[in-house]
Amino acid sequence: MKRNLSVLLSLVVLASLMLAACGGGAATEAPATEAPATEAPAATEAPAATEAPAAYEGMMVESPDCDYGGEFKSIEAVDEFTVKVTLCVPDPAFPSKIAFTSFAIQPAEYLEATGGNGDLLEKPIGTGPYMVESWERGNQLVFKANPNYWGEFSGAETLVFKWGTESAQRLLELQSGTVDGIDNVGPDDFAVVEGDSNLALFNRPALNIMYIGFNNNPQVEGFDNTTNPLANEKVRQAIAMGIDRNRIVDNFYPAGSEVASHFTPCSIPNGCVGDEWYGFDAAAAKALLAEAGYPDGFETVLNYRDVVRGYLPDPNVVAQDLQAQLKENLNITLNIEVMESGAFLAAADAGQLQGLYMLGWGADYPDQTNFLGYHFGAGASKQFGDKFEDITSALDSGAQLASDAERAPFYEAANNAIRTHVPMIPVAHGGSALAFKASVEGAFASPLGNEEFSVMNNGTDTFVWMQNAEPISLYCADETDGESLRACEQVTQSLLAYETGGTAVEPALAESYDVNADLTEWTFHLRQGVMFHDGSSLDANDVVASLSVQWDAANPLHTGNTGAFSYWSGLFGSFLNAPPAQ
Amino acid sequence: MTTQTVSPKKLDAEALSLDSVSLWQITRRRLLRRKSSVVGMVILAILILIALTAQWLAPYSPTLSMLDADPPQKVEKRSSPCIYALGCPKDQPQHIMGTDGNLRDEFSRMLYGARLSLMIGFSTVTFAIIIGTVLGALGGYFGGWIDNVIMRVMDVLLAFPSLLLAIAIVTVIGPGLINALLAIGIVSIPAYARVVRGSVLSVREMDYVSATRALGGNTFEILFKRILPNALTPLIVQGTLGIASAILDAAALSFLGLGAQPPTPEWGSMLGAERNQVFTAPHLVFYPGLAIMLTVLAFNLLGDGLRDALDPRLAHTS
Repeated sequence: MKRNLSVLLSLVVLASLMLAACGGGAATEAPATEAPATEAPAATEAPAATEAPAAYEGMMVESPDCDYGGEFKSIEAVDEFTVKVTLCVPDPAFPSKIAFTSFAIQPAEYLEATGGNGDLLEKPIGTGPYMVESWERGNQLVFKANPNYWGEFSGAETLVFKWGTESAQRLLELQSGTVDGIDNVGPDDFAVVEGDSNLALFNRPALNIMYIGFNNNPQVEGFDNTTNPLANEKVRQAIAMGIDRNRIVDNFYPAGSEVASHFTPCSIPNGCVGDEWYGFDAAAAKALLAEAGYPDGFETVLNYRDVVRGYLPDPNVVAQDLQAQLKENLNITLNIEVMESGAFLAAADAGQLQGLYMLGWGADYPDQTNFLGYHFGAGASKQFGDKFEDITSALDSGAQLASDAERAPFYEAANNAIRTHVPMIPVAHGGSALAFKASVEGAFASPLGNEEFSVMNNGTDTFVWMQNAEPISLYCADETDGESLRACEQVTQSLLAYETGGTAVEPALAESYDVNADLTEWTFHLRQGVMFHDGSSLDANDVVASLSVQWDAANPLHTGNTGAFSYWSGLFGSFLNAPPAQ
Repeated sequence: MTTQTVSPKKLDAEALSLDSVSLWQITRRRLLRRKSSVVGMVILAILILIALTAQWLAPYSPTLSMLDADPPQKVEKRSSPCIYALGCPKDQPQHIMGTDGNLRDEFSRMLYGARLSLMIGFSTVTFAIIIGTVLGALGGYFGGWIDNVIMRVMDVLLAFPSLLLAIAIVTVIGPGLINALLAIGIVSIPAYARVVRGSVLSVREMDYVSATRALGGNTFEILFKRILPNALTPLIVQGTLGIASAILDAAALSFLGLGAQPPTPEWGSMLGAERNQVFTAPHLVFYPGLAIMLTVLAFNLLGDGLRDALDPRLAHTS
């Protein structure tokens, strides 16, 4: 009897296993809320692996087609440690882009728990060398070393971020020994630091651009298409010729700065192909302005934020020199309007600034897509008003080619079209410098502005860094401000990373990646054994979740600090399921 | 701050003994006896002289960059003072207070700044006195609900620190010199309104006012011809001291970027623009700071002197 029972049980188990192998049993175990990919009209999440009950439940987010205007086709967790990204178009710069801070990976469960904002903005959970311990708004941000960090670590146990808008204050703090390093030494203070044997100056390469933007948007408040002088291309060309940029750089920028011949620095491949920018010619500028219908000049505003950046070390002085030059050369009266930093950036991004404005850009990664593509491409913001089709089409074409030689003609065309339309005037690639106590080991200046403090040591338990401003939030998927990005970089990591002190892309959370011949399918192999700060392990679903909340505008976690997710749209085009207004 | 009204009943012995000497002559005599007042007046006289003759005294336009000078000068931004008489090499252009961050002559900007600061002081106080006097006089003379409404509004304004209120007003109406003047003027009104109201309350019961009323004088005549002229002295003291605080407030607003806008040579904005150079080019914050201090000091010394000189009770102590 017992023997018969055993045989019967064995048959039942065998039958169950056979059913499972055919998929029937496993299908019932799939999450009820996730629909099969083939049935979804838009973004879908479905189990990718269904072979056995214990198999990894990989997430997948997919667009039904590529008509929505973005670069991503799908993100898929192939298995626990493999992520496959499929693109709609070839993108040779994809590794450089995906290595950027905004695309850092956080636990899927934590993203879900925070609802896409809340704690996520102040206490990110990453895999980086430091963990956020406390953030006293207006005072300091304190990090503790991550005991489970997978990489090399030679930093202090405690890292403190402080901030001060005044360069004199930062230098004084460094001289008095209350901080170990400061950002953006004032241009007039370079010699002071160099002359002090207790301090060390580190020059940051000028991988940036300071430009004078024009709002040529016909709908800008206070103007219509016929009265906004800046909507007239000849007026913009006249201003471009009427500003002596050499005078600005020679007198108001520190050593290591140079006049911009193009928007993109020449050290970036194809940065300086095409015609050089207009030379200074006051007489020709005056004649062109008269031809445009403004022989007596006009009155407008010059907006900027009184915030020191590597590309603009002395904003007030440069603004006043521009004011003087345009009055002298073109009889254009500029009324200076200094705005609060956040309000200024938001207004510029939304195309709401009147007149001219001074802004700049520091490289996130060394590629034209990060300079021309982000600012003038199809996915760019409205900061320069209406887009120019000849510029966007050339940039779209260039971005899809792999070799620099193939891309050159397109970037040449784009640079020449920018020179013709003058959506902005490139002024300078600004040299800047950091200063550290001479006793700090491992100090360096990153050309991308992402200094890693896990490789710096002052011989004590605490390392204090002072930068220009307080971070806005620590969810850097939805931040563009360099002060925030640097803080995030201590805590969170992306699939790839930029080498310490350089720009080359190297493995980070992904140990390696494969790509198909036409550069549209990128398969990342994740590093195993990596733990988040909350003790959970990194897996492929965390990658899919972290990227898809940015990509998919319909995702309930697509909230962030402002909901703009500017880097995603700037680098990868439109959002999936974007509302019609976008 | 205490203010005293002068009434005929309280005229001191000195005044009574000098039948042919007017109140203003007594005041002048007392002012000149007081050394601090004289110092204030001398500084003020120099400032007014500088303000009136700035265009002849200044070697350059206050907004001219030395890069635009004819011929352009080879001079560094934020260069130290260069005075030939003190040994500065003749091959360098002479800038006795150096140059600022935009390579403009600091001395020329300081001179024109005096004109602007005095203009700010006088214009805001004039504005505040006119409005404050009318409001205070109406409240004090008519009393009742008119007085209540006016003075409660004044109390509300007085409840805020003046600079904070001025910043709030400028934030609403936008930065700029004119708006800053308006804001400072508005926040100064309550002080004058209260002073005038107090004076009117004490003067309106005087016999000569009653006499004018009995003779059929209308309200306008009584208020503006009989009462106000006799309530003037505390207003003069308040106004003199008010100019000092108006200049200081305007400098503070400009320092914060809410007052005079570039390239206007206003001391507060000059101080604010170069605040980061306090170690590398200290002269650029020293001169505007010193000028603001001296101007405010001058008005305060004069105001204190006037207050004492116009106060009959202090006649023998000054």
